[in-house]
Amino acid sequence: MARSTTPRLLGAAALVLAAALSLTACGSSSGGSGGNSDGSVTVTKESSNSPYQGTLLTNHFDKPDLVMNDTSGQPFDLRKQTAGHPTLLFFGYTSCPDVCPTTMGDIGVAMSKLSPEDQKKIDVVFVSTDPARDTPKVLRTWLDSFGKSVVGLTGDLEKVKAAAKPLGIMVEDPVVNKDGTVTSTHGAQVLAFLPSDDKAHLLYLSNSSVDTYAHDLALLAKGVPA
Amino acid sequence: MSRRFRRSALIGSGLATVLVAGTVLVACSPGTSGDSNVAVTGAYIPLPATPGGMAAGYLTVQNIGSGADQLVKVSSPGAKSVTMHRSTDTTMEEVGALPVAAHGKLLLERGGNHLMIMGWTKAPAVGDVLELDLTFARGRTISVQAPVKPLTYRPGS
Repeated sequence: MARSTTPRLLGAAALVLAAALSLTACGSSSGGSGGNSDGSVTVTKESSNSPYQGTLLTNHFDKPDLVMNDTSGQPFDLRKQTAGHPTLLFFGYTSCPDVCPTTMGDIGVAMSKLSPEDQKKIDVVFVSTDPARDTPKVLRTWLDSFGKSVVGLTGDLEKVKAAAKPLGIMVEDPVVNKDGTVTSTHGAQVLAFLPSDDKAHLLYLSNSSVDTYAHDLALLAKGVPA
Repeated sequence: MSRRFRRSALIGSGLATVLVAGTVLVACSPGTSGDSNVAVTGAYIPLPATPGGMAAGYLTVQNIGSGADQLVKVSSPGAKSVTMHRSTDTTMEEVGALPVAAHGKLLLERGGNHLMIMGWTKAPAVGDVLELDLTFARGRTISVQAPVKPLTYRPGS
């Protein structure tokens, strides 16, 4: 019996493999969705130990040393100007109908549920991965839909890439398609930096809910350790 | 022996399941047997973040028929371009067709498959309605009226 089951099991394994392979073929490009410099991700879920609902990072990234113009045309020093503030950081672009506005919308709605005092404590920073089209004006108009206080940075894409890479966020050159649409490849995760050490402790994937953000932003505003 | 039999039966059924799954995945095309019977529900368009700019469109296609189908084209008299896209972890890509399984559902929802709507005849406002014409591989075209919802609208809220 054992003799006859082994080849069957092997056969099943082969089919599973084939199914997995065709899934990849029918699916999409996978990519570094965040973590290490090699594109792999180091995250762990220790929900029992953390009051936060976001994914806990085991590697507490420093805030990137990024100085770029904000949407008013003034230089914005990310490290200096957000020092000691809970900070959310997201890389995206405005010619993106689904993930970018959805993520920013969730954050905007969650922020609006906080008291005005708590809202002021949290910095939300959006960095454009498509600076050629995201002019300060275009970006400001887009961001205003989510919150007037959201900081928008746009400028040198090389700087953006350099800032994103150590955070495990892949940013590639945008591609202009034949029909004029733009596709930008960028890690869609949001990083949350704690005010205590200005390091990233939490990560939110693009399927995070408004409730998750609302829950965690209330804790972030109070500087609750992750 | 009964134990042995059960074991091999389990392996057999597992193998069959895998086989079926594999077939569906590899095929990625409508089946040739059975009729498709599709209906579209829950269509909506969140207000574009940039006034008059590109928008996403979300809806659900339900197939109560015994034959698989595919959504192959979406157009609108109120917009120059409606394309089908799929969001992934890091980017999005245009897709030529989206499968609707027999007795199954095709979800166009946030963070996944979605429509990308551009070139509005008139900049949309909350409360407006956009006609979407959905063409399926098996020949059916369905028109739905998709309401424009607030940017942060979530179904069920």
